[in-house]
Amino acid sequence: MTTNLFFQQVANGLAIGSVYAIFALGYTLIFSILGIINFAHGAVFTLGAYFTFTLTGTAFGFNGLLAQQKLPFSLWFPLALLGGALLAGLISVIIERLAFRPLRRRGADSLLTLVSSLGLAVAIVNIIQFLVGAEAYSYPSSALNDILTPFLFLFPDGKVPLALRVPLTEPPIIVRMVQVVIFATSIFILIALTYLINGTKVGKAMRAVAEDATTSSLLGISTDRLIQFTFFLSGFVGGIAGVLVGMSVGITGPYFGIAFGLKGLAVIVLGGLGSIPGAVLGGLVIGLGEALVPAEYIGYKDAVAFAVLFIVLLIRPQGLLGRVFIQKV
Amino acid sequence: MSQTTPALELKNLSVAYGAIRALNDLNLTVDKGEIVTLIGANGAGKSTTLRAISRIVNPSQGQILIDGQDVTRQPPDAIVRMGIAHVPEGRRVLARQTVEDNLFLGAYVRNDNKAAIQGDIHKQYERFPRLRERRTQLAGTLSGGEQQMLAIARALMSRPRILLLDEPSLGLAPLIVREIFSIIRELNREGVTILLVEQNAQLALQTASRGYVLEAGDCTISGPASELARDERVRKAYLG
Repeated sequence: MTTNLFFQQVANGLAIGSVYAIFALGYTLIFSILGIINFAHGAVFTLGAYFTFTLTGTAFGFNGLLAQQKLPFSLWFPLALLGGALLAGLISVIIERLAFRPLRRRGADSLLTLVSSLGLAVAIVNIIQFLVGAEAYSYPSSALNDILTPFLFLFPDGKVPLALRVPLTEPPIIVRMVQVVIFATSIFILIALTYLINGTKVGKAMRAVAEDATTSSLLGISTDRLIQFTFFLSGFVGGIAGVLVGMSVGITGPYFGIAFGLKGLAVIVLGGLGSIPGAVLGGLVIGLGEALVPAEYIGYKDAVAFAVLFIVLLIRPQGLLGRVFIQKV
Repeated sequence: MSQTTPALELKNLSVAYGAIRALNDLNLTVDKGEIVTLIGANGAGKSTTLRAISRIVNPSQGQILIDGQDVTRQPPDAIVRMGIAHVPEGRRVLARQTVEDNLFLGAYVRNDNKAAIQGDIHKQYERFPRLRERRTQLAGTLSGGEQQMLAIARALMSRPRILLLDEPSLGLAPLIVREIFSIIRELNREGVTILLVEQNAQLALQTASRGYVLEAGDCTISGPASELARDERVRKAYLG
C-alpha cells in the first residue's frame, strides 16, 4: 500500500467509523440503562433516512402504496434532517412502549425483549417496503450545500466542492465533502452527548438509573420517564446517522439499516458493552480496519470487523474499554 | 392519643412477594416529630414495610396515608415529592458518581433554583465534614460509615418531613454507629419525623419514642419504646 493510498483509506475509515460510532451509541445508551440490546435500532436508523427524504418533499418511486406521492411542502434540507431525526426519536419512544415496557412490567427475561424488538424491526422494514417500495432513494443534490450554509464563506465561489484535495502526499488525498460533514457531525454529536450525560441533571439521572434503578426511584427519579427519554435520544441520534449514510451512499432500500445493526453490535462488543467512549473507539477501529483491507481482498471487508472483534475478545473479554462485571453472590 | 392526623399511617398493610407473604395486616402510625422504630429479626418484614411506603414494592392489601392522604397508588416519585425520603438498607450510594453528584441527585425532585440546592449541599457538608473532604471522589470509594453519612445527606437533600431509615447501623464500627445515631437524634430535634428500622433493638429503643416488633410479617407487640425495652418477650428475643 502506498503512503497516499494509506492516508486515503484512513480518511475513508474515519468517516465510516464515525458513523458506526454514533450508530452504536444508540445501542449503548439503551444497553447501559436496561442491559438489553435494542434490535429495532437499525430500523430506526432506516426510518430517520426515509423520514428526512419524505420531508424534503421529493416524490417517492413507482412501487408501494405511496408511489409517486409527495408532501405538499418541501423543507430546507437541514430542517428536514432535524424533523427526520425527531420523528425517528418519536418512533423509538413508541418502540419502547410496544416492545420493551410491557415485558419489563411483567419482569420478563431480557432475551424475550430482544426477540420482541427484533420482531418490531422486521415489521418496520416491511411497512417501509409496503409504503414506498424497495428501490433506492437519494437526497436532493442541494443537500450538501444546504447543510454547509453557515460555512459557505469558506469557499471562494460560494459553492461547496464535492471533494477536498489534501496535499499531504503526492498525489493528494481526496476527501469527499460528505465525509467531512459525516465526521464533523459525528464528533459534534459525541461531544454534545458526553456533555448531556456528564454535565446535566437529566444526564446524571440517566447514569443513576443505569447504575441502580431502585435507588433512583427512591430519589424521586421516574425511571419510566428516563427510559423513555433515553429511547428518544437513541432514536434521534440513530436517525441522524441514517441520514448521514444516506447522504454518502444513498438510501439503499428498506434493509438499509440491517447491515449497520450487525456492525453496530460488533462495535459495542469490541468497545465494551455500555461504555460510551468504548462505542466511539470501537466504531473507529472497525471503520479503519475495514478501510485498510487491501483492494484485492475487498470482498472480505465485512469479515474484518468480526475478525477484529474475535481477536480483541480473546485478549480482553470485556471489550476495549468495558468494565469488568463482578458478580456478587 | 393525639387528635391530629398522623404524619404517616399504615392501615392493614400487606405485601406479598409471589406466594410468600412478607407482611401481614400491619397497622402503624407515626406522629409528626416522632421517632418510631420497627424492630425484629432478619426477614420479619421491616425493610418491606419501608419499601412499600416508598412504593418500590406494591402492597397486596391495605392503605398508606401521608398526612391523612391516601398515597397507596401513587408512583415512587410522588412519594418523594410529598416529603418522604428513604435511606435504603446497605446505603445504596451511586458508586460510580461523585459525592457531590449523589447529593445533587438527592434534590432531583426539587424545582427551586440551583443556588438553593448548592446552599443545601453546603449545609450537608457542615453536618458531615468528611463528605466535604471527599466531595469530588466517587461514592464507591468511601468507607462504610462515610457511605452511610452520604446516604443520609442525600436523603436530606429533598428536604423531607419524614425520613425512613433502613438499618443505618448495619456493618459499621460502634464509634461510627454512635455518630450516626447522634445525627439521627439531631435531625429529629430539627423537626424531621423518623421511622427507623433497626436490628440493633437496644439502640433503636433508646432512640425512639415508640416501637413496633415484627415477627415473620406480623406485628406482635407495639408500644412506647421504654415499655418495649422492659418487656420480657422483647428482652428475650432481641435484647439478649
